[in-house]
Amino acid sequence: MLNLQKTTPLDTDYLESLGFVWHTDSDETSYISDELLVLSEAEAEAYYEATNTLYDMVVEAAEHVVENNLFHEIGIPFNLVDVIKESWENDVHWHLYGRFDLAGGIDGTPIKLLEFNADTPTALFETAILQWAMLKQDGLEESSQFNALYEALIDNFKRLVTLQEDVSDFEERYDGWDFLFTSVKGNSEEENTVRLLQHIATEAGYQTEFAYIDDIEFSAEEGISYNDKNYELWFKLIPWEDIALEESDLAMLLTNIIKNQKAIIFNPAYTLLFQSKGLLKILWDLFPGHPLLLETSFEPLDGQKQVKKPVFGREGGSVSILDEEANAIESVEGDYDNHKMVYQAYTELATDSQGQSYQAGVFYAYEACGLGFRKGGRILNNMSKFVGHVVQITPI
Amino acid sequence: MKHLTKLSTIAAATGLGALLATGVTGCTQQQQEQQQAKGAFVFIEETAVGKYKIINEFPAEETRIVLKKLDGSEDFLNQAQLDALIKEEAAKIDDGTSELTKENPQASQGMGLGSTIMASMAGAMLGAWIGNKLFGNQNYQNNRKAGYKSPSTYSKSKKSFNKPRSTSSKKGGFFGGKKSSSRSGGFFGG
Repeated sequence: MLNLQKTTPLDTDYLESLGFVWHTDSDETSYISDELLVLSEAEAEAYYEATNTLYDMVVEAAEHVVENNLFHEIGIPFNLVDVIKESWENDVHWHLYGRFDLAGGIDGTPIKLLEFNADTPTALFETAILQWAMLKQDGLEESSQFNALYEALIDNFKRLVTLQEDVSDFEERYDGWDFLFTSVKGNSEEENTVRLLQHIATEAGYQTEFAYIDDIEFSAEEGISYNDKNYELWFKLIPWEDIALEESDLAMLLTNIIKNQKAIIFNPAYTLLFQSKGLLKILWDLFPGHPLLLETSFEPLDGQKQVKKPVFGREGGSVSILDEEANAIESVEGDYDNHKMVYQAYTELATDSQGQSYQAGVFYAYEACGLGFRKGGRILNNMSKFVGHVVQITPI
Repeated sequence: MKHLTKLSTIAAATGLGALLATGVTGCTQQQQEQQQAKGAFVFIEETAVGKYKIINEFPAEETRIVLKKLDGSEDFLNQAQLDALIKEEAAKIDDGTSELTKENPQASQGMGLGSTIMASMAGAMLGAWIGNKLFGNQNYQNNRKAGYKSPSTYSKSKKSFNKPRSTSSKKGGFFGGKKSSSRSGGFFGG
């Protein structure tokens, strides 16, 4: 049985004052669950360990892709291969943050990697801020969470300059480089996620600015500029594969900007290797039978229930659950049918008494640093709800 | 376990506490006007009875001061309290008893609350009307540093209030017509 604890729902005016405007789903229900999932210390610890282990494995798998030129195999658009290689070769292209989506870990079920949102992860605001707001509202300031995400991001922003674990000499080494933060116009969730990151970068000590993507100018020789000012550091919450497929001129410009060392882009292009669900197949090739992995193939799996999903996709689009004979038993429609597909062994998510399925999202910023949950149907889509958590500390 | 943490801990160490109180939009609006930040978030900690130090500070649209008391409780100072403290400090500056303008104050443990606030950027902004009493005063410039818990807090705070540095076949307008999808994320439950 899942251990859930009722909380007082956060007031929508308060949420909006925080900059969190996507609090209500299109069916007028709250996106934030009014229950907290109660975890044991051991469960939190297991998520932490699993995520750190998985990150090392993912890096090894990406190295395998680069060395063996498997870009096409895992669905990487050809016009990003150069920029991916370029970013992979140099440490200045530091991975700012990502989010592992994991099945299991609660209710006695084993942790399994579903996928790694390494390029443009959202749910940041919910995990880093709202979970704390929920505890604060109920006077639970002394309760614990597996949630150092805010601090971990401050430190990892500093590491973009120090390039090592120790961030103490950031102020000495930061030479006033300007940092531009960007989203696409017209999506408040993405924009405010970016503004939160900008806020954290400012706190870390950077000079920052925000601009929509269509107001920015790009030049292979001069780099990235906005309002006639040049920016050496650029964060974009825009998927690399969208840049490749929808704005191929931009893909080429960014490749040259990086080759000419005119700017550094976050998250780096190589995070698309991590993001591709094709990498799940490479992981299984390299670590067959690993307890944190689910068998994954480019062909339908023989004789077992499985999930068919596009190598790149959002919000559960074009995902199907297939039975042992590979017939679809549950599907979510989407725009990603033309993408290459992978087939991943099915694993049952933990469910509550209402039959809602729970999936963990563990953020990684230099190391595993924050946990949040989402609940919904068996395929989590854009109607899924965010669920906060609290870790019950057992007295020694 | 390193990343198991409490709100009380994280809010004192970072700007998260201020963010929970006033939100990220309030803080990002200042970005457009970074050159002339109108206010500041300031975290002040009581280090001994009646003695205070600044533990963190950064620019913001509106001035907010969070006070962490010796007993661990936290308080926001409201405008009326701030005004009263500044007025009191101004009177002390006038009669030469303010710790800020003394030549060698006993400030290693921190200063009184009024002096500590005036040592912060927020104080410099709030008390602009007494600014001329302070800014020309070399003792004030020296003693301000004493209001900060560590020297790095002081230099970081100074840096974040300084003007950003400016530098300068371009192509733009990408994704001009696109509305990208909303909540990205984990797709498949399984």
